[in-house]
Amino acid sequence: MKNIKHLFKKGLSGKILLFFNENPNCIDTAKGISLWIGGDINNTQKVLNQLVKEGIIVCHRTASTNAYAYTNNKEIIKKIEKYLKNM
Amino acid sequence: MKESEKKEKQAFLIKFPKSSSVSAFRAFCSKILKKNRCAFLDAEYAPVKFKCRREKCNHLKLGKYLAKIKAGPLREYMIFKCSCDKICLSLPIMQGSSVYGYVLFTHLDKEPGKAIVDSVRICMDLALREFQKEQELTKLYETIRPRAIALSTIHTIHRLLSSTLNMDELIERIARLTLQVMRSRHCSIMLLDESKRYLVPKAVIDLDKEIPKTGLQYKKIKLGAKLEGGVAKTYKTVFSHNSICVPLVEEDVIGVISARDKTNGAPFDKFELEILITLAEQAVIAIKNAQMYEEQEKMAYGSIKTLAALLDSKSPNTFTHSDQFVKIVLAISEEMKLPREDIVNLHYSALLPDTGKFSIPEEIFKKPGCLSSKEYAIIKKQHIESLKIIEHMGFLKHAMPIIKHHHERYDGAGYPDGLKGAEIPVGARIMAVANAFEAMVSARPYKGKKISVSQAIKEIKKNKGSQFDPEAVDAFIEVTKKPKFKNMLGVSA
Repeated sequence: MKNIKHLFKKGLSGKILLFFNENPNCIDTAKGISLWIGGDINNTQKVLNQLVKEGIIVCHRTASTNAYAYTNNKEIIKKIEKYLKNM
Repeated sequence: MKESEKKEKQAFLIKFPKSSSVSAFRAFCSKILKKNRCAFLDAEYAPVKFKCRREKCNHLKLGKYLAKIKAGPLREYMIFKCSCDKICLSLPIMQGSSVYGYVLFTHLDKEPGKAIVDSVRICMDLALREFQKEQELTKLYETIRPRAIALSTIHTIHRLLSSTLNMDELIERIARLTLQVMRSRHCSIMLLDESKRYLVPKAVIDLDKEIPKTGLQYKKIKLGAKLEGGVAKTYKTVFSHNSICVPLVEEDVIGVISARDKTNGAPFDKFELEILITLAEQAVIAIKNAQMYEEQEKMAYGSIKTLAALLDSKSPNTFTHSDQFVKIVLAISEEMKLPREDIVNLHYSALLPDTGKFSIPEEIFKKPGCLSSKEYAIIKKQHIESLKIIEHMGFLKHAMPIIKHHHERYDGAGYPDGLKGAEIPVGARIMAVANAFEAMVSARPYKGKKISVSQAIKEIKKNKGSQFDPEAVDAFIEVTKKPKFKNMLGVSA
C-alpha cells in the first residue's frame, strides 16, 4: 500500500477514503460512489480501481455489476484512522 | 432548568457563535457599534468563549456583575457599565420564549441609541433564523444521508445477488457481502436439509483464520440446538454485542445467517441489525430463485433424458451418445472457459445430439462408406425436419442451433447449412470434435473398425483448422493430457 498521506494528497482518492471511513458498511457502484463524494464518474472509477490494487478497497465483480466496498483489513483501517485523527 | 434543556442550550451556544451566520452578524455589529468586543454568555451569564487579555476587565467577573444586576433571565437588552467603567450592551439570544444565552458587546466608545440597538437586534434575529436553517440542514444531512447510503447499498446488494442463479456461487456471495456490509470477521450461512431437522453449513468465512474457507467442513446442527438451531426453530433474531443471527424465512424457515465480531471490535448496533435483516430478506429471495432454477434444470434434464430414451427405443445408440461423449464435451467447454449458461445449453445438446437423424432412413445413416449426393441431400433435408421434434421444448431454444449445426465443418464443407468458422455456434464446434473422437474410438456397427485413442487424437489434430475449430481442438488436446481423461473414457489411453 502506498503512503496514506500520498493518497490523501490526491483529491479524489482522499475523498473516497474519507467517504468509506465514515460509511464503512457501504457497498456501491462507481456511479453511486461518485454521487456521494461529488466526483466525476470516470475519474472515480479509475481511482477506485487503483485503490482496489492497493488493497484499500474491495471489488465485488459480477457479469453486469462491479461494486466497491471498504477493506476488512484491520491494519489498513487503523493506518487510515490514525492519519485522519492527526489531520 | 432541566438537565436535558441545559445540555441543549449549551450545545446551541457552542455551535451558534461558530456558525457562518454569526460571522456576518459580527461584521455588521463591528461597523454599527464601532470599536467593540463581542462575547457570548450562557443563560446563567457564564462566558461561552471569550478572552480579553489586553484589558484589565475580567469578563468572567462581568458575567457575575450582570447576574448581580438582575437575577433570572433578561428578556430585554441592557446597557450598563462594567467594573472597569466601560460601556457594555447585552442582548438576549432567544428562541421562542426561551432564553438560550446572551451576546455581550463590551468596550463601546459611546452608549448606543435605540435605533442602533434595534438594528443589532434585527440582525441577530436574522442570524438566529439563518442558524436554525443551517441546523435543520445539518440534521437532515446527518440523518438522511446515512439512510440514503444504506438504501443504495441494499440496492447494490440486490443487483449483485440477482446476477447469479448458481446456488454455490450465490451462497458464497451472500456470505462475502454480509461480511463486508456488517464489518464483521466471521459470517456463516446455514440451510435446512431436506428432512428439515438439521442446519447444514453452506458457507462459512472467518477472516481470522489464515485461509478464509467457504465450504462444508463445519458440522451440521440439529434444529433447536446451539444459537443457529434456536434461531431457526423459533424464527426469532438473536442480537448481542458481538453477534447477530437472523432466520432466513420465506413461508417457513429455510436457514439462518449470522455475523460475528466486528473488525473494529465495537459492538453491533441496531442499524446493523436492520441491515442484516434486510440483507437476509434479499438473500431468501435469491436463494429461492436459485433453488427454483435448480429444480427447473433437473426437470429439463429429466425431460431430455426421457426423450432420448424414447428415441433410443426406436434404434439404440442412434440418437444419443455415450456418457464419455457428454463428459468430453463438457470438459472441452470448461477448458475453453465458456460461460455457465453456454455450458448448460451444451450439456442439453450433448444429451440429445442426433435428434436430427430421427426421420433419416436407417439404411442411409447406417450405410458404411461414402454417401451418394442424393443420399447426402436426403440427410440435409431430414436433419432439419427431425429437429422439429424438439422445437416446442422452450428450454432447448439455445441448444437447438448446437444440435442443428454440429455436423458443420470448420472449412464450410459440412451440413446442413455449410456454415464455416465463427458462423458455426461454438457449442457445435466443440460437439463436432467430441463426436468425431467418439465415433473413431467406439465400435459402432456402421462406423467400421474402431481405432485407438492416440490414433483418434492424432486424426483430430490432423484436421485442425479444416474439419475442426483450432481452438476447440487445442482445448480437446489439453483435456486429453489431464488424468481425468482416462476416467472419462473408462479405458487406458
